[in-house]
Amino acid sequence: MTRSHPLARLLLVATIAALAVVPLFLDPFGYALRILCLMLLFGALGQAWNIVGGLANQISLGHAAYFGIGAYSSTILFGSFGLTPILGAVVGAVLASIFALLLSIPTLRLKGHYFALATLAAGEMARIVANSWTSVTGGPVGISVPFRPEAGPWALQFETALPNYYLFFAAFLIVTLIFWRVKTSAFGYRLRAIKENEIAAEVVGVDTYRVKLQASVLSAALTAVLGTLYAQFQFFFDPDTIFGVATISVKMALIAILGGVGTIFGPWVGALVIIPLEELANSWLGNSLAGLSQFTYGVLLIVVILLNPRGLISLAETLRDRLSRRNGQ
Amino acid sequence: MSALLEIRHVTRRFGGLVANSDVSFDVAPGEIVGLIGPNGAGKTTLFNALVGIYPPSEGEVIFNGQPIAGWKPHRIAKAGLTKTFQNVALFAESTVLDNVVTGGLVNRSLPEARALAARILDRVGLRAIADKRAGDLSFPERARVEVARALCTEPKLLLLDEVMAALTPIEMEEIITLVRGLRDEGMTFVVVEHHMKAVMKLCERLVVLNFGEKIADGTPEQITRNQKVLDAYLGAGFSTDAEAH
Repeated sequence: MTRSHPLARLLLVATIAALAVVPLFLDPFGYALRILCLMLLFGALGQAWNIVGGLANQISLGHAAYFGIGAYSSTILFGSFGLTPILGAVVGAVLASIFALLLSIPTLRLKGHYFALATLAAGEMARIVANSWTSVTGGPVGISVPFRPEAGPWALQFETALPNYYLFFAAFLIVTLIFWRVKTSAFGYRLRAIKENEIAAEVVGVDTYRVKLQASVLSAALTAVLGTLYAQFQFFFDPDTIFGVATISVKMALIAILGGVGTIFGPWVGALVIIPLEELANSWLGNSLAGLSQFTYGVLLIVVILLNPRGLISLAETLRDRLSRRNGQ
Repeated sequence: MSALLEIRHVTRRFGGLVANSDVSFDVAPGEIVGLIGPNGAGKTTLFNALVGIYPPSEGEVIFNGQPIAGWKPHRIAKAGLTKTFQNVALFAESTVLDNVVTGGLVNRSLPEARALAARILDRVGLRAIADKRAGDLSFPERARVEVARALCTEPKLLLLDEVMAALTPIEMEEIITLVRGLRDEGMTFVVVEHHMKAVMKLCERLVVLNFGEKIADGTPEQITRNQKVLDAYLGAGFSTDAEAH
């Protein structure tokens, strides 16, 4: 068990307080607030991924499938039947869970690279289906979320980004809380056992298949709900973005890995670094050299991961250990 | 008294290789049985077959009245049969305590497993290093954590695979006292060990494997006089005073 350092606890409270207050001083129609929204949303996505990828070390590169299922489910149900996206999110979560269950049959016995590749293929499959099934998804041209502010809060649509921000903030905190609960429960012990030695875990009584399945389903359902929130925020998306490998699947994994895989604050740090970095790379380099922004972003990530594979959080831990050792003397 | 474990004609093949061939023997409740034989005789393979890692290719295993051959390891552990790993398979990134707690979760809630793990750490003498990362421990310490984690599953029958390798004579004595104490409380053991002095001291009965087949089964006195065993294992320059490694 990690013991929480008083300084760490203070930092946590300060961070949450800052996240609660800062948007009030920002332009509610502005760019900065939108970036903060995306940071929270992707922080939550990294955290949802962390349940399977971090705790059980099942490196999924197909989470875009769940994200897209969530986005399409609520958007189609809202557009065609006027169903509130709140219920749409529930439908999306159920469909994503079913997809996770079906995907688990062939993939859960796979390990390491093979699991990563199989999930990557599953995400791509979802993208291809969305591109081809034009009658339902609208196909490659994408789909718009109908703007119905008259429907009130049930439509989860807002005039400014500020209510969105608090919605994402709540989602971010809830997913973090779920991750923390999982990590510190018997379920978390079992997931860690699987990560560290799957055969030994079985021999001391962990039903490894079932535990991995439960984690996948939970992670998929949370990712789908976040997909609905994303759709309601962006108002428009197409199969290539919502089911994208680089835009969603890899980004979710990288946010958790860069920050510190399997740690509770890893995705916080990861999202804090990656989302602004990506925006900066896009705005500085996007116009001059197409593609160079992605390249820069990739290079920076490689450098950080090469320097410290345990993630940025571990840098803070090393620093803390060094400080406490100095204080102890 | 009926047997706790009945091994009936167990054969395990890996491709063309027969690692265990038609092995049969019983283990009665409260016994400490030594499973000995030269390297490659199939001792660990038999353990792996019993706990379900590599289920028997043929034959039957009856544990506590139930046919368990073919069950997944976690189900066998839940029924009360588990083993320690010869090459040590701890959860290296986790603390000693968390390793042991994980074993306790097989039939208990987390708070119960924590309390049980604390008691076991005391008993096995690991309390002082409970918060250390398992991967940072010395080999003898890790072997003890293996034993503690297995004990925390509260097995009826525990298979110990070379837990005394690389231990000092004093540490070995501690393990022998521990195992005998647990036996007196009702546990049953099958022990693989190369250190013959320790085996003779600990076990009341020995089963000898050679090239995957059982060649002898009897008391230590009978085994040390058995010509087949002397030829295959004990006689081959092996002294009861020598360290195994």
